[in-house]
Amino acid sequence: MFFALTEEQQEFGAAVRDYLAERFDLAAVRDVVEAGPGDDGNPAALWTAAGEQGWTAVTVPEEHDGLGLGLVEAQVIARALGAGVAPGPWRGTVLAADAIRLTGSDEQRAAWLPRLAAGEAVGAFTTRGSAADGLPVVEYGAIADVVVAPSGPDAPGLCLVTGASATPAGSYDGTTRLATLAGGTTEPLPGASAGLRRQLTDRATVLVAADLVGIAREALTRTVAYDRDREQFGVPVGSFQAVKHALADLHVGVTMAAHAVLYAAHAADTGADDAELAVAVAKAKASEVALQATAAMIQYHGGIGYTWEHEAHFFYKRARRLAGQYGDVASQRERIAALTV
Amino acid sequence: MDLTFTAAEEEFRSELRSWLSAHIPGEWTRPGFWESLDDDESFRLRRDWEREKADAGFAGIEWPTEYGGRGGTPGMKAIYDEEMVRARAPRTVNPLGLAFLAPTVMAIGTDAQRKEIIGPLLRNEVIWCQGFSEPGAGSDLAALSTKGVRDGDEFVVNGQKVWTTNAVHGDKIFTLVRTEPGSQKHRGISMLLIDMNQPGVTARPLKQMSGASEFGEVFFDDARVPVSDCLGEIGDGWRTAMLLLSFERGASGISQYTEFRRQYDEIAAVARKLGRDTDPVIRDDLARVLTELECLRLHSMHVLTQVEQGRDLGFEASMTKLQWSETFQDLWEVYDRILGEDATLDALPDGTDLRPLHAQAMWSRSVTIWGGSSQVQRTITAERVLGLPR
Ligand SMILES: Cc1cc2nc3c(=O)[nH]c(=O)nc-3n(C[C@H](O)[C@H](O)[C@H](O)COP(=O)(O)OP(=O)(O)OC[C@H]3O[C@@H](n4cnc5c(N)ncnc54)[C@H](O)[C@@H]3O)c2cc1C
Repeated sequence: MFFALTEEQQEFGAAVRDYLAERFDLAAVRDVVEAGPGDDGNPAALWTAAGEQGWTAVTVPEEHDGLGLGLVEAQVIARALGAGVAPGPWRGTVLAADAIRLTGSDEQRAAWLPRLAAGEAVGAFTTRGSAADGLPVVEYGAIADVVVAPSGPDAPGLCLVTGASATPAGSYDGTTRLATLAGGTTEPLPGASAGLRRQLTDRATVLVAADLVGIAREALTRTVAYDRDREQFGVPVGSFQAVKHALADLHVGVTMAAHAVLYAAHAADTGADDAELAVAVAKAKASEVALQATAAMIQYHGGIGYTWEHEAHFFYKRARRLAGQYGDVASQRERIAALTV
Repeated sequence: MDLTFTAAEEEFRSELRSWLSAHIPGEWTRPGFWESLDDDESFRLRRDWEREKADAGFAGIEWPTEYGGRGGTPGMKAIYDEEMVRARAPRTVNPLGLAFLAPTVMAIGTDAQRKEIIGPLLRNEVIWCQGFSEPGAGSDLAALSTKGVRDGDEFVVNGQKVWTTNAVHGDKIFTLVRTEPGSQKHRGISMLLIDMNQPGVTARPLKQMSGASEFGEVFFDDARVPVSDCLGEIGDGWRTAMLLLSFERGASGISQYTEFRRQYDEIAAVARKLGRDTDPVIRDDLARVLTELECLRLHSMHVLTQVEQGRDLGFEASMTKLQWSETFQDLWEVYDRILGEDATLDALPDGTDLRPLHAQAMWSRSVTIWGGSSQVQRTITAERVLGLPR
């Protein structure tokens, strides 16, 4: 029995976290947030690092210059990026590559996978709208070189969209950029099927859940650190039991969410019988915990936590956006009920 | 990631399974069977059966062979616990002795204590109680006031313990006793192993809210204990107690998941019978609990991994306790909501006997109290794991 990350897998996450701590800290995130939608939201240095350090290559097969690893490793990276509330089109790029790997033709794979793996091309992935009728709110749709999208409203097909015209969509989560897309050239992914589309959505869901776990853990860690030092009534506020118990419950919740996401990634990679349940459990739990932990971050920082100067809102806003993506808590629970009640 | 057990472990599983299927009487697995027995009868059946099981080599799975154990892996112990639940085997009669006392004796007992205590425990010839709580010392265990006064080679013990599981059926009790007069808090306490079958010890049953009397109170009135029956150093009982309580961790979560998941399915079946399975609030409730149960399963696999790697989980054990106990309680609160207006009836209109389920619902009220209440576990987690100030 081995249910844990290997040392190598942990190093993946550590490398991303170290890079962010040293080269792209919250001050840099703030620059992106404050630059607003006029800026593309993808700082060049960070994106170069993503390509050079293999973050974008993680699930691309070795024959296409990737690392040939699984969703387990990808979710480690996603978690670290969430902890740093890092901007950039990493997730869309990995998911576009996954879609092309699983459903593309040989030519499509050869054309796109090495470039996506190296971070030379930006990918995007969406399950909403259709290439024919337009695509609402695609993450980093404006700078994506290639977008994987549903072909038609109901069809199981997926296609590649290039050269679409993008209109920025506003969002109060300033750590990302959204755009609606229309037109462009579409090209079907020949291997797409309802099953593979489901599988790809599950993989996307797991990566979002991992980002949420990263957010939640970091929000909690920062709050604990603050409450250890901040004094009121002559003692650290972290010595008050009302504070302690809330943070302890969050610690349990975040730990459980991390287990759930890790297992969901493994189940998705191996096609386990309970993969669908595992993904729903992971997303429900991660969304719930991230919403709680980021709200607590604001609460247990007091007034400072509500200011623009403080970083709590980066975490809170990103958690709110991602908690709703690919199914919020209620809809994931309905999925779980459908499978078990 | 490798979520499988080894070939040897799986072989052990099938051997155990076939033994269990041949040795658990069919009527035992009928829902409501155990609830229909009185405490004494239930105890006797379970005790005899466990002796039979030990004789067949299915006891002390992870204990070293020199103590009569099987020398198995942590994985085998996890499999053992899981298969017991699967086969609907009755609950053990000696939970505190097996889980806590035995590993402590192996770790710090004298040779004589090892010889005297472990074998009989394995065969359930001696039933052990845990005498920690007192009327004035529950969560604050160190506030205990039971006294032991040295008299030659013996301690003379006076005082009272309470909420002692198996008080009436117990043969011996491992107790925390203040053996240094005037000592305070954690100092001057010893862990004494007291024979309950002596004139100075009286056990009285306490009736629980469920109607059962699994616990009771124990009075010491000049009870005598040889000094050699102190476990660990005299006066260092607090450390012995902490070591003993640390054995609470381990890999039993996988079997708890198996049991709770079965109960979840039973509760979902009740919801369907009552047409409550289409109620969106109930569906949300059930799915929330299932989410937490799945987390418990995965967390337990993680704990087992750590145990197999010989890692010390330390205060993380509080998290495991919180996760299982709070989830279990939540499950039975959802059950109540499913029954709605009929929450307290003994049976459904179609005759489905609800009493075994009700018994679990009652029991769920206790799990966040014993073994360190949820509040205490949260404080430990906050201070020892997160490092928040005292
Ligand atoms: C079914 C059952 C079986 C048991 N079996 C045994 C046994 O075999 N042996 C044995 O020794 N004991 C046993 N106990 C006793 C159990 O260990 C105690 O009940 C438990 O330690 C709590 O102590 P208490 O009951 O005195 O509650 P108290 O400590 O008085 O607590 C009352 C309330 O105050 C809260 N509280 C207490 N201190 C704090 C704090 N510092 N911060 C916040 N909240 C706090 C508690 O969480 C609880 O909600 C059993 C209890 C039950 C219910």
